[in-house]
Amino acid sequence: MAGYFLRRFLLIIPTFIGITLLVFAITRVVPGGPIERMMTQAQLGGETGGLQRSQGGGTLSEEQMAELEKYYGFDKPILTGYALWLKKVLQLDLGLSTRYQDPVWQIIRERFPVSIFYGVTTLILTYLVCIPLGLLKGMYHGGRFDGASSAVVFLGYALPSYVIGIALISLFAGYYDWFPLGGFVSDDFSELSPWQKTKDIFHHAALPLIAYLAGSFAVTTLMMKNALMDNLSTDYMRTAAAKGLGLGQSVRRHALRNSLIPVATSFGSNISLLISGSFLIETIFNIDGIGLLGYEAIIERDYPIVMGILVISSLLYLIGNILSDICVALVDPRIRFGGGVH
Amino acid sequence: MTDSSPLLSVEQLHVAIRNDHGISRDMVSGVSFTVAAGETLGLVGESGCGKSLTAMSILGLLPRPQAGISGGQVRYRGEDLAGASRQRLRTLRSAEIAVIFQDPMTALNPVHTIGRQVEEVLRLHFPGLKAGDRRQRVLTLLEDVGIPAAAERVNAYPHQLSGGMRQRVMIAIALAGEPKLLIADEPTTALDVTIQAQIISLLISLQQQRGMGMLFITHDLALVAQLADRIAVMYAGKIVEQQPAEQLFASPRHPYTKGLLAALPAAAEQPKTRLAAMTGQVPGIDQMPTGCRFANRCPHADDLCLNTDPALESFTDGAAVACHHWKKLND
Repeated sequence: MAGYFLRRFLLIIPTFIGITLLVFAITRVVPGGPIERMMTQAQLGGETGGLQRSQGGGTLSEEQMAELEKYYGFDKPILTGYALWLKKVLQLDLGLSTRYQDPVWQIIRERFPVSIFYGVTTLILTYLVCIPLGLLKGMYHGGRFDGASSAVVFLGYALPSYVIGIALISLFAGYYDWFPLGGFVSDDFSELSPWQKTKDIFHHAALPLIAYLAGSFAVTTLMMKNALMDNLSTDYMRTAAAKGLGLGQSVRRHALRNSLIPVATSFGSNISLLISGSFLIETIFNIDGIGLLGYEAIIERDYPIVMGILVISSLLYLIGNILSDICVALVDPRIRFGGGVH
Repeated sequence: MTDSSPLLSVEQLHVAIRNDHGISRDMVSGVSFTVAAGETLGLVGESGCGKSLTAMSILGLLPRPQAGISGGQVRYRGEDLAGASRQRLRTLRSAEIAVIFQDPMTALNPVHTIGRQVEEVLRLHFPGLKAGDRRQRVLTLLEDVGIPAAAERVNAYPHQLSGGMRQRVMIAIALAGEPKLLIADEPTTALDVTIQAQIISLLISLQQQRGMGMLFITHDLALVAQLADRIAVMYAGKIVEQQPAEQLFASPRHPYTKGLLAALPAAAEQPKTRLAAMTGQVPGIDQMPTGCRFANRCPHADDLCLNTDPALESFTDGAAVACHHWKKLND
């Protein structure tokens, strides 16, 4: 099995190259690059800036354009450009942002605490709520609790998260003033005691977290419920009953672990949630996270940042998938990857 | 055969299944039989006749809420189980009455070792047992059911064992609670013929050693002949005939039993001769006739059979038949 996982890790390399090459090529092919973007802004700046820039504004000469393209490396063919980019990535250099002229890694790193806080909290709360909720719903399928919780879960699933976000913010931050309107922390955060800091973060995080979680409960809860119900009707559960175990005991000792198998499978794709926040929620709540950064980078054609986020999220996703395979192998003894015919 | 008062006595049992439209129909209609300590009763019938439902209803293992006992009594040592609480049934399961299921491939939990699954019964019903003794008892049980190298196999997962070995593990689980009555629901149907024979002889020897009563359910008449003291034949939710085993094979009384025995492929027969299959189909649950349920397939049926359901009539000790014309037919 170790050999299997080693192979899986090695397979990350070609997959990673495939993903990044594709996106790199797209950034080169689509019209409107960073240079055009900067020129447009220069022109707009010239018009609004008034007299002193009116002469300098306008179009650049062919020569200047070629120089700029050379500076950003756009003069080379796609594959050469990609190879140069990849070489720098291997040296852990993600390049400079065309917008801020700061190192991409530094810009992304500044957003990490916010995104990881929301990502980890969402991930933990999702599993903490969905697994017990799914179990209860499965055990008492068709009962009053099942019906009521289904109504809540599906309402959350049906409403887009930004709608929930706007509703929450206008009701609890606008009308009632119970929660702050947005931001990750208060302005006087640095002056607070550690306990007040924690409180401050969660005070700010409450509404966005609800908006994040509202939609994410449905899938995992129902996956858990259905898996449990499948397992409740299995023969080995009848064996457990014939041994003299009660429903609760047989669920805990027998059905639970079997029902966790599909949930464990989905763990890998959820792990990429860790950094990829929803830019809509981040916009609504004015949170400076990776989601917002990525969105702005695409709009502003800040390709080094786009590629930088892609590098991190694709690596997380690929590693997450292997992690979920390991999880599945841990809960299900029948799965021994890579054994083939024993 | 022992003559002591019956260990299990099922009286006029009705089991109903509710369909998707909420309509309940009796799949088992007034079944009565007894099993004495140390005795094996074979309950024989074709698929869908209600034999497994009958067996599962004894311990309240019917799939809820679709199926349930709709009438009659199940008496275990005089105590009515049909009306017993869930709590009471749980204490009886494994400790007094144990079950072996049809498919050993699915009846074991795939994610636990077989040792743990046997041990679970001991934990539940012998809570005073020390961990070391319990471990030892598991090994003894696995050895008793003929699992070679039990000390190594105890940590194996079900998927690492063959079908026959898994069924032996199921038997070990059933025996762990030291039950007085064993219900075997088609325990060899999922196994190939050589393994079938091994499991049957294992069951016979274990039953004799431990003096258990056994209710053996099967669709295979040739199989039940090997181990049953008495045989009850079920058809469409009713018992149509009951006789001591040898007597049933020597002189079947009911036309259905006769048909079944005639359809058995005999070894002495010429190869490639046509088997004497019965014509017709079992009536569907919604088209159960008011008269004899076998009438539409019976060569001897007349108006009486079509209109009146024959009662199970006992004619000698331990033998009964439900047919209007059995006397005439067996003269």
